[in-house]
Amino acid sequence: MATKIGDQESPQASASHQPSVKRAPPPETPAAIQTRFRVIAAFWAVIIFLGFPIWWKTTSIYRASLPIEEMVDWADGKACRPVFPLEIHLATPSMQSLEAQHLLRTTQHALDDLNEFAAHHLRLKLSNGSTTATHNGEDSPESFKYLAEETADTALTVRLLPQEGLVGPRSELQTATTQLDIFYPPNQVPVPSSSNSPLSAFITAELQRLYSEEKATIAYILSGNTAGLDSTSPQLAEEIDRRLRRSIKYAETYHLSFSLFTPGSEPSSWDIEAAVNEYVSPLLQALSPISNFTIDTQVQLYANFAPTAPKPEYDESEAVWTLKKEGLSAFVNAAEWPLNPSIGSGPTINFILYIPDPSQSPLFVKENRASSWMVPQWGGVFILNPPLSHTDKQGGPSNPTHLSQDSLGPAFMTFSHQLLTLLGTPSTPTSLPLRLQTSIRIRAASLLLSASSTMGSLARLTKSLPSIPIPATVATSVSTTLSHLSSSCAHLREGRFSAALASARVAETEAERSFFEKSMVGQVYFPDEHKVAVYLPLLGPIGVPLVVGLLKELKRIAGRRKAKGAP
Amino acid sequence: MAVDRRKIAVFGAAFVLRLLLTCLFPSLPDLLTGRVEVSTPVNSFKRLQEGLFLYTRNVSPYDGGVFHQAPLLLPLFALLPNAKSWPLPTAIFYFLVDLLNAYALLTISASGQSVKSRLHSAVRKHVRWDGVSVAAWFLFNPLTIATCLARSTSVFTTSGILFAVSNAVSGNTINAMLALGFASYLSLYPVLLFIPLVLLCYDRRSEGSSPPNVGSFIVQHAALLLASVAGLLGLSCLITGDFWEFISATYGFHLLVPDLTPNVGLWWYFFIEMFDSFREFFLGVFWLHLASYMGGLTARFRRQPLFVVTALLGVFAIFKPYPSISDASLFFALLPLYRHLFPLMRYTFFAGSAILYSSLLGPAFYHLWIYAGSGNANFFYAITLVWSLGLSILLADTVFAALRDEWEQECPGMVGAEVRQV
Repeated sequence: MATKIGDQESPQASASHQPSVKRAPPPETPAAIQTRFRVIAAFWAVIIFLGFPIWWKTTSIYRASLPIEEMVDWADGKACRPVFPLEIHLATPSMQSLEAQHLLRTTQHALDDLNEFAAHHLRLKLSNGSTTATHNGEDSPESFKYLAEETADTALTVRLLPQEGLVGPRSELQTATTQLDIFYPPNQVPVPSSSNSPLSAFITAELQRLYSEEKATIAYILSGNTAGLDSTSPQLAEEIDRRLRRSIKYAETYHLSFSLFTPGSEPSSWDIEAAVNEYVSPLLQALSPISNFTIDTQVQLYANFAPTAPKPEYDESEAVWTLKKEGLSAFVNAAEWPLNPSIGSGPTINFILYIPDPSQSPLFVKENRASSWMVPQWGGVFILNPPLSHTDKQGGPSNPTHLSQDSLGPAFMTFSHQLLTLLGTPSTPTSLPLRLQTSIRIRAASLLLSASSTMGSLARLTKSLPSIPIPATVATSVSTTLSHLSSSCAHLREGRFSAALASARVAETEAERSFFEKSMVGQVYFPDEHKVAVYLPLLGPIGVPLVVGLLKELKRIAGRRKAKGAP
Repeated sequence: MAVDRRKIAVFGAAFVLRLLLTCLFPSLPDLLTGRVEVSTPVNSFKRLQEGLFLYTRNVSPYDGGVFHQAPLLLPLFALLPNAKSWPLPTAIFYFLVDLLNAYALLTISASGQSVKSRLHSAVRKHVRWDGVSVAAWFLFNPLTIATCLARSTSVFTTSGILFAVSNAVSGNTINAMLALGFASYLSLYPVLLFIPLVLLCYDRRSEGSSPPNVGSFIVQHAALLLASVAGLLGLSCLITGDFWEFISATYGFHLLVPDLTPNVGLWWYFFIEMFDSFREFFLGVFWLHLASYMGGLTARFRRQPLFVVTALLGVFAIFKPYPSISDASLFFALLPLYRHLFPLMRYTFFAGSAILYSSLLGPAFYHLWIYAGSGNANFFYAITLVWSLGLSILLADTVFAALRDEWEQECPGMVGAEVRQV
């Protein structure tokens, strides 16, 4: 283009610069002017009618609109105050209904007076004994779902049973169900006139004791510390802090890896399937509202200690081999033992069953004669010392070639306990269903907070980087997250904790998905100055002759119009 | 019949030369087939063989993403014996196509449209080569020979374009549109030649008794072109079965340039370096840049539509997404028609040196980069820049000469006057 315009004018220009040339250049004919106008118009038509639409279409950044205000509200905790109203049924099979109601009222009063953490409170409710029994100990997900649609989960059933010959009331927590039996002397039934009674005080104290750890944990999660609770002892606070540090970060799916390691060739087989079915599967079933689990197992023979690890020492006094406590961290030979750090998306929890060599058997931890320990956020180790057999012809004792389900029992009991600890299940109370329920509430609270803060981060990110694209999938994920967050919050308010956890899990997954959307982060750092560097080298050389040509043409048209108007 | 004997001698010599090269150096065709300067992803004979293999085994030829050429080539080559075991029949087929192209050039030259058209008559009419010389220039051009021996499928596009032009200058406007439809069907970009070609047809028609209406003439021929392309697409659909698969594998491949194998063009290096988010935008820019010359050149050279075709072919040889030396050879084939412009050109030596320099150094630098490992991509890219520079200078010089010729025709007094570029 430049060539053409230049060339076309060059004879004329050269003539004007050289007045000595005899003949003046002939004036441009109207046809030539018209042709030049057509040429410039042809180029600009392409630019305007094709170039600009293409530029607009290919460089505009699609930003789906996000409910920024709402997201920030969730992150700041304005949208939802998580509350944990626990419904506790009071079964009084042998009490007059009037008396029972009075007892309930006074106990509730006492509980409310003592409660200093408003988000977590206990609600007592009278129930007739026949219906409460049906809810007891039902932890399967089906019943959780079923309950979630109708009423609040029953956190605990307190059964008041008169018993002759007691001086004061006495409590007994059933370890397999969510039931607390309180036995009281029949003469301590409070009379409606009295405002206080030893029985209600006892029930209050029992319930407070039962839920103190959970309350402290939830307070810790919601506020970051337990300072708000006066009653929490420093030991308990430290305990909670330690437990949360030891437990693995929440994930939608965990991989459980059970490994049998032995330095020799035996045992080479174990009844792992039966052991898992017997000891682990029921626990996983109970944990299924919280997370999903996959299991894999392996047997590794000739697994040696790392060369730098301290060797077991022989304790002559007790005829056992011992490991020093401080050397346990080097026990797992991470370099050589094939323990995958992660399979698929979720974290892996490793459980190692170690069978020592017959020459070093039995093997224990020196300080406390323990045979198992836990590695925080990683897994657990159990040293199994099987009975040695002397059938070998060479004379030395040898390990059994096969480990039966029974011999694996203690190890897998320990592993299940370690699994619960690693998942952050509180250590009190003694009843497993109660601990699982507590775990559900704790998880719901932490997921609610985590998804909310992810929403806040996403909102801040989109506000601070106006140049990143926001695909429609992110907007969908955000709206799914927000709706599940609010339904989770509503479930919490009404005491349906399993449903709240289910919603919070969806919210967390969607929040993570929206925050880590790949197409968004691709252009996170691309300031506008860089666009000049992208556009100019190419479009500059093309653009200058086009723009200059257009300007000249416009000037000519303007001049002609002026000339027409002037005379 | 001295002229006829000359013609036979040129055509025969060209045929024999190709045959000798094939027979004396049996590895030469395969060597050339693998060269990036000759074979691009859209015209490579190797890829055609792959598509043919799949096609003869009843698998979709576009499976595997190697083959990107028009499906109608497949039944054509399926008729020929296997090129691996019987290379000669395929080679002779290509020689004949080359001779046909030369014959089309002969027709174009004989019409004299390049020197005297309806609206324009060159000042130096007498300075011209006859058809046989033009054909010989084409047939003995090393670029043409290399393309022919490499069995690149660009020669069919070349045929389509040359026959469209030769039919247009002979007044067979319907055949011209059908041939252009064939060329466009094979490689998409020749469709940009429609406007100058239809103007050429119109000028030829208007030389007769009653000039037809311009608008309806263009619309009729556009419809004809569309119909021919649609017919070929319909046939292809019968062959491949899956319409969209074949469209996206062929025209989608031309338009979106996903394969950045080095070639003599300017696109591959640029799109390797491009930020991903700007890729679509610059694809648009490059294609529009290629297309925008059509309108400007047509408007400026309304009086010489054949020259617009020539200049556009030069633009395509430089700026098209997958150019090869066959595109340059097509441009060089039409240039001798403008022998009368040569005295007006100013940079022929510079342009010629640049082209020679790059065509000799290009293979060497490619070897340094890919095989010796002592160079990098910039070596080869620099050479393709020089190649494009040489072609651009030649093209710009030709355009300048044509403009000068028009100007001298308008102002007869200025013939031979000194000019100075500002």
